[in-house]
Amino acid sequence: MPLTGVEPARMNRKKGDKGFESPRPYKLTHQVVCINNINFQRKSVVGFVELTIFPTVANLNRIKLNSKQCRIYRVRINDLEAAFIYNDPTLEVCHSESKQRNLNYFSNAYAAAVSAVDPDAGNGELCIKVPSELWKHVDELKVLKIHINFSLDQPKGGLHFVVPSVEGSMAERGAHVFSCGYQNSTRFWFPCVDSYSELCTWKLEFTVDAAMVAVSNGDLVETVYTHDMRKKTFHYMLTIPTAASNISLAIGPFEILVDPYMHEVTHFCLPQLLPLLKHTTSYLHEVFEFYEEILTCRYPYSCFKTVFIDEAYVEVAAYASMSIFSTNLLHSAMIIDETPLTRRCLAQSLAQQFFGCFISRMSWSDEWVLKGISGYIYGLWMKKTFGVNEYRHWIKEELDKIVAYELKTGGVLLHPIFGGGKEKDNPASHLHFSIKHPHTLSWEYYTMFQCKAHLVMRLIENRISMEFMLQVFNKLLSLASTASSQKFQSHMWSQMLVSTSGFLKSISNVSGKDIQPLIKQWVDQSGVVKFYGSFAFNRKRNVLELEIKQDYTSPGTQKYVGPLKVTVQELDGSFNHTLQIEENSLKHDIPCHSKSRRNKKKKIPLMNGEEVDMDLSAMDADSPLLWIRIDPDMSVLRKVEFEQADFMWQYQLRYERDVVAQQESILALEKFPTPASRLALTDILEQEQCFYRVRMSACFCLAKIANSMVSTWTGPPAMKSLFTRMFCCKSCPNIVKTNNFMSFQSYFLQKTMPVAMALLRDVHNLCPKEVLTFILDLIKYNDNRKNKFSDNYYRAEMIDALANSVTPAVSVNNEVRTLDNLNPDVRLILEEITRFLNMEKLLPSYRHTITVSCLRAIRVLQKNGHVPSDPALFKSYAEYGHFVDIRIAALEAVVDYTKVDRSYEELQWLLNMIQNDPVPYVRHKILNMLTKNPPFTKNMESPLCNEALVDQLWKLMNSGTSHDWRLRCGAVDLYFTLFGLSRPSCLPLPELGLVLNLKEKKAVLNPTIIPESVAGNQEAANNPSSHPQLVGFQNLFSSSQDEEEIDMDTVHDSQAFISHHLNMLERPSTPGLSKYRPASSRSALIPQHSAGCDSTPTTKPQWSLELARKGTGKEQAPLEMSMHPAASAPLSVFTKESTASKHSDHHHHHHHEHKKKKKKHKHKHKHKHKHDSKEKDKEPFTFSSPASGRSIRSPSLSD
Amino acid sequence: MADAAATAGAGGSGTRSGSKQSTNPADNYHLARRRTLQVVVSSLLTEAGFESAEKASVETLTEMLQSYISEIGRSAKSYCEHTARTQPTLSDIVVTLVEMGFNVDTLPAYAKRSQRMVITAPPVTNQPVTPKALTAGQNRPHPPHIPSHFPEFPDPHTYIKTPTYREPVSDYQVLREKAASQRRDVERALTRFMAKTGETQSLFKDDVSTFPLIAARPFTIPYLTALLPSELEMQQMEETDSSEQDEQTDTENLALHISMMESRSVTQAGVQWQDLGSLQPPPPGFKRFSSLSLLSSWNYRRILEPRRRTPLSCSRTPPCRVAGMGRRTSSITLICGR
Repeated sequence: MPLTGVEPARMNRKKGDKGFESPRPYKLTHQVVCINNINFQRKSVVGFVELTIFPTVANLNRIKLNSKQCRIYRVRINDLEAAFIYNDPTLEVCHSESKQRNLNYFSNAYAAAVSAVDPDAGNGELCIKVPSELWKHVDELKVLKIHINFSLDQPKGGLHFVVPSVEGSMAERGAHVFSCGYQNSTRFWFPCVDSYSELCTWKLEFTVDAAMVAVSNGDLVETVYTHDMRKKTFHYMLTIPTAASNISLAIGPFEILVDPYMHEVTHFCLPQLLPLLKHTTSYLHEVFEFYEEILTCRYPYSCFKTVFIDEAYVEVAAYASMSIFSTNLLHSAMIIDETPLTRRCLAQSLAQQFFGCFISRMSWSDEWVLKGISGYIYGLWMKKTFGVNEYRHWIKEELDKIVAYELKTGGVLLHPIFGGGKEKDNPASHLHFSIKHPHTLSWEYYTMFQCKAHLVMRLIENRISMEFMLQVFNKLLSLASTASSQKFQSHMWSQMLVSTSGFLKSISNVSGKDIQPLIKQWVDQSGVVKFYGSFAFNRKRNVLELEIKQDYTSPGTQKYVGPLKVTVQELDGSFNHTLQIEENSLKHDIPCHSKSRRNKKKKIPLMNGEEVDMDLSAMDADSPLLWIRIDPDMSVLRKVEFEQADFMWQYQLRYERDVVAQQESILALEKFPTPASRLALTDILEQEQCFYRVRMSACFCLAKIANSMVSTWTGPPAMKSLFTRMFCCKSCPNIVKTNNFMSFQSYFLQKTMPVAMALLRDVHNLCPKEVLTFILDLIKYNDNRKNKFSDNYYRAEMIDALANSVTPAVSVNNEVRTLDNLNPDVRLILEEITRFLNMEKLLPSYRHTITVSCLRAIRVLQKNGHVPSDPALFKSYAEYGHFVDIRIAALEAVVDYTKVDRSYEELQWLLNMIQNDPVPYVRHKILNMLTKNPPFTKNMESPLCNEALVDQLWKLMNSGTSHDWRLRCGAVDLYFTLFGLSRPSCLPLPELGLVLNLKEKKAVLNPTIIPESVAGNQEAANNPSSHPQLVGFQNLFSSSQDEEEIDMDTVHDSQAFISHHLNMLERPSTPGLSKYRPASSRSALIPQHSAGCDSTPTTKPQWSLELARKGTGKEQAPLEMSMHPAASAPLSVFTKESTASKHSDHHHHHHHEHKKKKKKHKHKHKHKHKHDSKEKDKEPFTFSSPASGRSIRSPSLSD
Repeated sequence: MADAAATAGAGGSGTRSGSKQSTNPADNYHLARRRTLQVVVSSLLTEAGFESAEKASVETLTEMLQSYISEIGRSAKSYCEHTARTQPTLSDIVVTLVEMGFNVDTLPAYAKRSQRMVITAPPVTNQPVTPKALTAGQNRPHPPHIPSHFPEFPDPHTYIKTPTYREPVSDYQVLREKAASQRRDVERALTRFMAKTGETQSLFKDDVSTFPLIAARPFTIPYLTALLPSELEMQQMEETDSSEQDEQTDTENLALHISMMESRSVTQAGVQWQDLGSLQPPPPGFKRFSSLSLLSSWNYRRILEPRRRTPLSCSRTPPCRVAGMGRRTSSITLICGR
């Protein structure tokens, strides 16, 4: 019966197995979701779900489902009323009001809470008791239909309502609602098995106003008007088995566009945007064709829908046969910059349709396969659409990103394995969050995870060739589509789930190659490789002596052993060499091919077969080496720091045709501010054939070089004459030509060059007057009347250029900034900014790019002391109702202000917005920005760092963000950045710390170290010897189940009990909101931990007292603490057992009776604890007022 | 008696005319005619048997006769013109007389009456010459397709223009310079005006007027303005215009544009505001250019109907924004040509 106890073992077994075993004692086959009423005014939803399940074990009597936020009215199984319990430990992670403000403690508690309801482990928030009348039925493994009536009132996550506050009907206002969330978040809007591995077929019904359109997954079977003709019901059928997490919904007064190229594709957008929608989606069919062609597989669903909505949670969200996009991706034909971005988003979502929606993952540790494959095929699309240069540039960008992140935070693990008994063997101990579960991940980590996944997929391709790779994908897809058409009974549906082992098996079957080392290196292990390379040329032996060192000791790095490609460009041509990197060998001798030096004047062959003339005068006369590249194909996730002479970098920049090589050399040339470097960069800038992104980065490099060479620089400021030649009129060189952006290449260059030029500084470290005038002239003479395209991005960049030219104000004894002492240059800049910003009000630009740039520029002026620093302006732009880009820019300025001016008031304002802003994305973004640009960090003294702030943030992540996984993780990140892992130093010492020390006779003098010691102990617990404790850990949750069971055994048939539960559930279902609500109402909802909520005094001392009294070994104490992070609350009540038990005596015998059937527990202590927690759980049910329990307890606490 | 009267009259008028002789030849001419009429009246009176007549009654009768004769003349002229002739014929006179109720058949008999007095022809006086108008230059002869009987061309100075304004600038650099600075002035003036009339924010606490920022106002549906910016709408409109006149070179276009802007760029934004609706007449020689008329008509349309596009916010956004913004934007286009 105690399934949970068996679960971990079962999950582990799965690893080796091919097949998939459900963690649940039943199999879901079909689910009906019916929403019969949606009220936009009240933001509420009423409906029911009906799940058809087949028990797989005979004695199934409890069914666990996922549900959050939903208020459940009634549950019936095969038309019989069923009792149920709702218990969500993630609502409030740490229940005790202890002063334990320790992130380690929190993270463990949170991870425990999340896995306690994790559907992948067969758990859930909603536990339904199968009525005894059906037991016989169940024993025959016959079908059960679970019917659940639920409602949702003002959901804070899962479903997002957008209701503009204008007059008119909801449809006229453009009100809409859509489902959203991070990872599996469907439980936020209807009860389900919220797992990617539980597939079933779907029937979806939504009744909406006649003016509205409901878009959901699968085929629209029919729309039926109600008899009063004021509403209609949309019936959708999804016959392909799909996980609940891939179910979505969007309702609004959408304008509908049937794709003119593919009639099975339909696009939806908000009113008035139809022309934009037409243009934006006109490209989609090509993406479709591309994917279908490379995968040699038709799109698996019979239709596809794209919906563009406002206030999107993420820009792109892919669900089964439907994608939800941000409406801000829409653009007209006149917009250049947004076009590639939007197309990328479309392609990304489509790739996820195949891998992610159609093919789902078995468990969280297999997520990387799906993200990897979808990212990889998206990359193939990029290569085809935007060209190889863009593709390689993108790969390099992603590689740089992941390398930087891993080196900073210490590693991203793609395939976390949580070995059998070593649950505590945390593979990512360097992180402040658990990676065992997607819902505990930091958002940044997750984006990096996706990035690494596709890079690794590319590495696999390098190893087995693209052909095989696509064959593997095709195999996965065809297996899945065969399975999808099967009936449930055949148990074929698990073929639609992908697992790491299954994927690897397909690879070895198809390619016959062993990629195990590669997988071991990049998938089962975190970290990147860091190479340092240098070389010497041995003239006598004509050999290149290459030395490659590795750093594998710093965090986020790993040792690499294996082949490494090195490309050497010599006078006679380009040669590839594959070195074997081994443990100890650092030096590698590479024989050179070119014996002859440059006595003969001949062309030099390049890698791509091209032959070019080079001016070899800069070269070292003795060496035939032009340049050397390490790992040119990026086939290792690495960072390379390679040393070669400046002229070699210059040759590499000029003549190497690979954009990555060019980019690398540009980066390297920053360190060589010489006229030769300058010339090489200028030549690249002028070369039309050169990839535009390389030219753009050359601009910035040139600016840096010019600044380093400032004393010797001759001629006009860098790039000025170049710009004049390229973009100004022939007859009047100071006037820019009227805009013509037909050539995108030169458009991007024209945009970038002034921005880079503005970074130039003269000997006084000021921006040269000439440059400023030049930029002002560009703005003045800008003329877009004859242009086919909008110039809003161009103008925005000109403002960025102005901002770049600002240098710190020279302040005479800290005078107040006023108009009178304003620098005349700054006055000109300010004049432009004012004009632009004001014109934006009258003639707004696309996506308000100009306002965004203006706000940023104003913040730069403030920061540099030209304008008084004042957040009022930004705060007004940050208000709800402005376009989201503007808000983010303004908020960024406020965040920066908070940091620079250390303003407590602004910080509070931001925190308030995090809690109350209507747009989830903005809330997430503020947390994100605060983490990136924190007002203070853990090692810093700051007036902002005080106890109130700690409490506030603690509350935020503990209970205030329970409706949004992403937001909670963001709050955790911020807490980590501000205070670190241990107890914040600004908190007062725990009161009873001294007692603890005395009792335990420990030499811990500084009580603030206590949390650290706990952390240390946890580390100690990581070793396998702590096995017994682990059992206890698992039992913590099984115990709670046990006692729920008892509850139901005793009272399940009593009508009173059911009504009691109904009452209980009728209370607001979002206790996350209830921060200020009395603890009693909350505790009713969270029976398991209710007692903990009430006890305000610190738990820890109390607990230590208890331990002392019990006389248990002190070495057990810390372990206990770390084992049961969530259980410390129960422990607190432990002492009061005798008093409390008086009240629940009549229940006790039930417990004990039942317990006898259970397996014995090793520790008496543990047993007691469990017993106790049971009691607690009971209390809210047995006593109408949980507060009474507290009143009895509290006096004894002070003993 | 009649003679005496006649002689007296003649004498009186003679002396009068004598005294006036020197004054005006035209008067003289008329006096002579009148005197003849008086003689006629006197002789008629004599015929009728009067021996003497008061001078006043002679005068009255003369007056009557004169108006009778002029009426005949006038009517006869009308008849003749009516039949598209220039010279009256006898029949015209006859018709006139008939029309006036005179029995024409009695005329021959009356002419042949016995006691008819013969009146001597009036003394010949010269038709007064109308002084020649001042002519400047040579009148143009008729071009061949105009018949010669048509009136002649008027004097050249009455219709030939004299270019008195300065040459339009055609130097590219100057034009660009002008276009840029004008647009900037207009934008600046406009935004300042807007800032003055509405709420503002300021970067400097001590000074709110030097760099006034129009206050940020949240929208009810922010994505609409962001994704369908009026700026682009304008550019598209402009584009269709410019495509119509592709033959024009850039410089010409620019020159026209500038002259157009010159005619309406006024330093005071407020004044400008009111003037925007009414178009001033173009400068002489100004070829009216398609975008101008198009823009202006569009301008009116836009002012009349609220700007926001559809049911979504059409009547719902506060009126100041809807109508106001529409007007502002459209007028800006007109000025800035953006």
